[in-house]
Order: sequence, then structure tokens, then C-alpha cells
Amino acid sequence: MEIMYVMIGLSLLMAIGFLIAFIWSIKTGQQDDLITPSMRILLEEKEYKNNK
Amino acid sequence: MLELERPLLDTKTTCFHCGETCEDEIISYDHKSFCCHGCEQVYKLLSDNALSDYYACDINPGKAPSAQNFDFLNHPHFRDQLISFSSKGVSKVHFHLPAIHCRSCLYLLENLSRIEPAVVKSNLNFGKKELTVWFTESAIDLGALASLLARLGYEPLIDSGEEQAQQKKRTSQQNHLFLKLGIAGFCAGNAMLFSFPEYLGIEAGSLKSLFGYINIALGSIAVFYSGSDYFTNVWSHIKLRKLTIELPILLGILVGYLRSVYEVFSHTGAGYIDSVSGLLFFLLIGKWFQQKSFDFLSFERNYKAYFPLVISKMIQGKEQTCPLAEIEIGDHLIIRNQEIIPADAILLKGKSQMDYSFVTGESEYIALEPGNSMYAGGRHNGELIEIEIKKALNQSHLTQLWEQQAFKDPNHKTENWENFANTVGAYFTVVLLSLAAVVGVYWFTHDPSKWQNAVVSVLVIACPCALAISYPFALGHGIRWMAKFNFFIKDIQAFERMSQVDAIVFDKTGTLTLHRDEQPKFRLIRELSPWEERTIYSMVNQSTHPLSRQLAQYYRKQKLEIHETLSSIQEIPGKGIEAKQDNITFLVGNARFTGHILDKQQDFIRSESQLFIRIGEEPVGYIEFPWQNRAGIEYMIHALQANYEVYLLSGDKKSHAGTLLDWFPEESHYQFECSPLDKMNFIKKLQASGKKVAMVGDGLNDAGALKQAHVGIAISEDHLHFTPSSDAILQGKQLIHLPTFLKFAKFGLRLIKASFLLSLVYNLFGLSYAVQGTLSPLIAAILMPVNSLSMLFIANLGMNIKARGLKSYLAKRKGD
Repeated sequence: MEIMYVMIGLSLLMAIGFLIAFIWSIKTGQQDDLITPSMRILLEEKEYKNNK
Repeated sequence: MLELERPLLDTKTTCFHCGETCEDEIISYDHKSFCCHGCEQVYKLLSDNALSDYYACDINPGKAPSAQNFDFLNHPHFRDQLISFSSKGVSKVHFHLPAIHCRSCLYLLENLSRIEPAVVKSNLNFGKKELTVWFTESAIDLGALASLLARLGYEPLIDSGEEQAQQKKRTSQQNHLFLKLGIAGFCAGNAMLFSFPEYLGIEAGSLKSLFGYINIALGSIAVFYSGSDYFTNVWSHIKLRKLTIELPILLGILVGYLRSVYEVFSHTGAGYIDSVSGLLFFLLIGKWFQQKSFDFLSFERNYKAYFPLVISKMIQGKEQTCPLAEIEIGDHLIIRNQEIIPADAILLKGKSQMDYSFVTGESEYIALEPGNSMYAGGRHNGELIEIEIKKALNQSHLTQLWEQQAFKDPNHKTENWENFANTVGAYFTVVLLSLAAVVGVYWFTHDPSKWQNAVVSVLVIACPCALAISYPFALGHGIRWMAKFNFFIKDIQAFERMSQVDAIVFDKTGTLTLHRDEQPKFRLIRELSPWEERTIYSMVNQSTHPLSRQLAQYYRKQKLEIHETLSSIQEIPGKGIEAKQDNITFLVGNARFTGHILDKQQDFIRSESQLFIRIGEEPVGYIEFPWQNRAGIEYMIHALQANYEVYLLSGDKKSHAGTLLDWFPEESHYQFECSPLDKMNFIKKLQASGKKVAMVGDGLNDAGALKQAHVGIAISEDHLHFTPSSDAILQGKQLIHLPTFLKFAKFGLRLIKASFLLSLVYNLFGLSYAVQGTLSPLIAAILMPVNSLSMLFIANLGMNIKARGLKSYLAKRKGD
């Protein structure tokens, strides 16, 4: 049964790890704009040559 | 009298850039058609900079460009407000661009650096319609940058400092709620994990108490951090002596939590931590969902937003631009054609045709001479004028409306608490507390070991969480769907109020009627010769008067040509135009000017905008530009009259109403020549007779009525257009669907009531265990999430099915 202590500790640590990642994503503004990146990814990046 | 109706040329060519029908003339460039030189210029600019992909992302993505000059932004007053960060020569600025609408916009705006090398980087937030630009300020100034955006068709909307601060506050609140939601989810998930041995009846021995302690820790975070809003809200409600739905919810959560703490520390049980944190998680999802905000719209605008941001001031004989806030009494200002008078003033130089339609609702222009006084909010038509400010900005005639009680009290619509959730919440609290008391007393006298358990179970299981969940979800879906139909509702409370409405008041000018640039009616005693028509066209073409411009545009569509020269032309402001061609004098203007004698009937309809013509000595008649009813408006009023009392208010004279009056047979149902204050009082009077009034209006003159009404709906033609503060903003074209929208709001409330009844069934089931004192944590752990989930499911499904039906119905009506 001792293994349970280790497992619980690990599971809680992993969950806390994700929680910290979530808090970090909010604090750094990653959740601020959820629309634009999904549109941006579909635009083609063409090599831009300046003809002038 | 002859009446000549002319068919309009029906050109179906659409502009390659903006997709509008090319009406005036078609410009061809690069084998593509454009509706105006502006659109063509944008196309040229883009193709020169290898940005033609703009047109590949979407069909006709462009917007007609604007020539607005933003040089005033270089004034320190605006520059310091707009530029959020500046370092090493690179400055960062946020622009609010309401015209953003598709992927092409994203493509163009994020490649801004190709058009303007001084731009280092640009980043678009599509949802907020906000562009962040990093640029070298030494190479391009802020004004030029804003003007460039306007030239591309994305005219920036410069918000006042107040609005910006409000938006920042909203964003931080949203992030906070999101954080609380995530943490509640974390706590709920883990608490369920640690409650597993309890569910399965596993003998975990020493682990059991450890699990219990971990659960308490998780539960404490969930209740005191994620649920902190419930504490502050309930506390403020108690101080106001109001019973709301949040009280029984908090009671359930708190009792469940405290009971769990007691059980765990006394080793008597496992408690309800999993149910309590799960419930909080669902409640917060609901709160988060109802927070749909339209960041690109402002519902709180007052008269300040209508005024120009800058004015031209005369300082020692020199003209200088300065921010509006710097106006003082006695200042001399320069006002150009189509500019707005910022404060009550006296006309010093020049003549003016003052258009007060937005402020008073009156559609007729008022002619002003030097020495006349003019009121804030009027729009000047005509030559350049000089005025002297007589009253401070916030003391003008216009702003007295904002001194009314309705504007000063921020809670004036919410303070009556008459929403369904709170009404039910109040009853619920009373019933719940009495039930808990009865159960407690019963068990105390019959079996004292059970009384605590029974009371706690009753309070936990019967908490009205179902209502607290179905309410935000159903109404949140409601405002999301309405936004898809270009009907933007401020919040879910406004949506609910819409369902309660039983009387609707319409403003006339700008709401039901539009001054359309459409076919003028020719009421002439004889037909004009082509040469005469050309002469009149040449005359009106040189005038800036609105009627002249409409007539000129009409002739342009007829492909008429102007005379190269007129032998003499003179415009007499407030009267008309006089011109000579081949020794024949032409007069175009008002009736007195052209020597028309008006009979009674004409007097009656004179208010409709008319342009009289005299050729030589002969008055030939007039051309009429009627105020036209918005298309489909009669049908809408008819549909509304079946279920609502419909009223009409107008700042105009009764004679302006025309055919619209046919729809308002009862005299008590309309009122003309209303001042903004009269409109507000009309609403008050209706409300005093017990009506829930919706006001539909557009101008500043409706601001008081919109604020006073149960629901104020502002009509707007586009996002750039000024809208007075209101509860909802409806696009002009969608006004005819108002009956359908109101029905949808009613459906939303019915759905909530139905799902509430269902949740009562769950509650009764749970209560049947709770009153016996035999509610196990397992039953609570199953029953509460199932209850919450089914509420969520019903709200989502019901609103979406109904709205989809609505969508296909509206699409069909559009096709008819």
C-alpha cells in the first residue's frame, strides 16, 4: 500500500504542474486573443520581394 | 400638374475592392472595376506593394477608404493617451478599427510594414478589432499613421480616455474570472479523485484521513478563492436588505464545506468537498459564459462621444487646432461645413444652415445669421463660419439631459431586482430555510443524533444551482445569437428585460424614416428641355446644400452633362442659387426665393424637403426629396401591434410624418414636436401606468428616453456611427426583424422556467433522502453534477435549435 503514497504525491504534483502552466498562460496574455491565431495560421507566407 | 417618374439606370457592376454596386461612375483599372477613385487607389497601393493576396483571401474584402485627416493626433493631449510605450525610437500604439471584418483585413494589417517602412511590426486582435502597431516615430508621426489606415479603409475610432480605462478594467475582470474557473476545475477534479475510495467503499485505513485533509485543502481554495465573488455579492445584498439567488447558493456551499471540515477532522466521514467544488466549477462556467462582451461597441456613450475630438480655435488672429477639452467661454472657433457645434455659442461671421436633427429630431434646417445663437450638437451646413463660445461645455442646452436622475443613478435599471432568478431566489431562500428548520426540529425531538446531518443535507442538496446555471447559459446563448443577426445586447439582464416588454416606443427621424438619396419626385407644370436640365444640373453641382447634392447625384446617374461654363452664378445662403445662361435667369431654391405662391395644400406638406425652380419669369414647380420610411417598416409595426402597444415620438412636426401616421390611429399613441426631455417624460408616464417600455431610437435626442426605458435599443447604420448610451444596439437594416427578436427573448425565459421545473424534480428526489437524514455523499456527488449538467444541456440545445430556426426564417425573408 506504500506505493499509493508515492502515486498520490505524483498525481497531485502533475495536476499542480498543469495548474501552474494554466496560471502562467493567463498571466502572460496567451488567452487574451483566441480568434486571430486560428486565422493567421491559414494565411500563406510568401517570400516578399521588393520590386522597387 | 405633371408628375414625371424616371426609371433609374440599373447598373449591376460591383466594385472589385469593396463589393458595393458602382452607382455614380465606373472606374476601370487593371481590367477591374471600381466604384470610386478611393477604392482604386487602395488597389493600386496594394498591388504596388505585392499585397494583392488581400483580394485572394476573401471576395471584395475592402471598405471604401476615408479621407479623414488624423493630424490632430500629434497634439500631445492625444499622443500621450494613445501611445502606450516608447523606447529607443520605437513607439507602440493601439488603434481601434471597427471596419475589421475578414481574413483579408488580417492579412493586410499585419503586413502594414510593406506599405509603410517606418512600421516595425503590426499585430491584430480580431475579436477586439484592435491593431497594435510598433513604429519608428521619427519616420512617421502618429497622425500620418492613422491617416494611412483611414486611406486603406480602416478608419481608426479614437476612444476617449474613459472608454479605454473601462475596457481595461473589463479585460482584467475577465482574466480574473477565467483564473478562478480554472482553479475551481482543478480543485473539483482532484477532490473527486480523492473521494474515490469513499464512493467505492474501499477500506483505505490511514490513507482515508490523508485524503480527507487533501480534500479540505482543495475545498478551501475552491470556496474561498474561486467562490470569493459570492461572499462579496451576498454581503452587499444583505446590506441592501435584498434576497437574491446567490444567498441560498452560498449557504449550500458554506454549510457543505463546514460540515466536511467537521467530518474530516473528527474522523466521522468524508464530507461533501467533491460536490461543493464541482458545483462551484459549474457555477463559474455559467458566470464566464454570460460575460459575452462586445469590445468593439460601446454601450455607455454620452454626448461627449458625439462631439469632435479637436476644434479650430482662433488665437490672436491665427487658427490653431486644440483638443475639445481646452475650450473656454469667449473663445472664437472656426466651424467648417458639416462640422458640429461643440458648445452653445453665438454666430459671428458667415451664415449657417443648422441641422439639429440629431439633437432635437427636427428634420428641417434652421437658417442662422450673424448674431444668432446656436446650440451645442447642431451640425453646420454651408460656408466657413466663426463663432464665439457662450457657455462651458458641460453647461450647454444639450447636456442638461444628462443631469436627469436616470443618468446619475448607475443602477437605475437593475436596482428593482425584478429578474426571474432573484424573484425565485427570494422565495427559494424562505422555503429552504423553513424546511431546514422543520426538519431540524423534527429530528431533534425524535432522534437527536440525526438532526445535524439532516439539516446540512437539506441545505446542500436543495441549493438552487440549477437556476444559477441555466440562467446564464440560456441568456448567454441568446445574446450570442442575436449578435449574429447584428443585434448587440449589452448583457444578459438586458436580454431578460426584453422578454418582459409590453409597450414599444419608436422615434421617427432616423429610426423609422431615413433621408434617402433616392429618386426625387418631380412636380413640375411642364417638362424641362434637356438644355434646361443641364443648366440646373450645372447649378446644383456647384452647391454644397444637401438638396442640391442629392439632385446633382440624381442627374449624374442620368448621365447628364454639365455646361462647361455658366455665364454667372451666385449662391445666396438660406435662399438658393441664381444663375444666368444664354440670358435666361434660372433660380433654384426655396419657394419665396423663386416666387412660387403656395396654396394651402402645399403649405401642409411644405416640410418635406423641396427645391423650387424658376426659369426666366416662369415658376415651373418643384422637386421633392421626401423622408422615406425604412423598407418593411409598415409590416413590422403591424406585426408588433398584435402583441404590443406601439407608440410614435418625434421631435418633428406632425406634417412630416406622412404615411407613417396611418399606422397609429389612436391619438394618444403619438406625440410630435417633442424635446428630448418630453420624450423621456413620455416614457416615464407610460411606466407610471405599469408598462414595461422598450424605446427604439437613434439620435442624441433619444438618449434620455433610451436611458429611462426598460430596454433602450439604439439604431445604428454602421459601427462608426455614433450611438447614444443604450442597452442594445441594432443595425438599421435589421430593425424590421424586431418582432422576431423579441419573441426569441421570450422563448429564452420560457426555456429557463421549464428547466427550473425539471431541476425541482431532482431537488425533490434529493430532498426525500435529505429529510430522512440518509443522504450519503455518493448520492450528493451524483445528483448535483447530473442536475447541473442537464441544465446546461437543456439551455444549450433549446437556445441553439430555436436560433437556428430563426436564422433560416430570416434567410428566407431576405430571399422574398
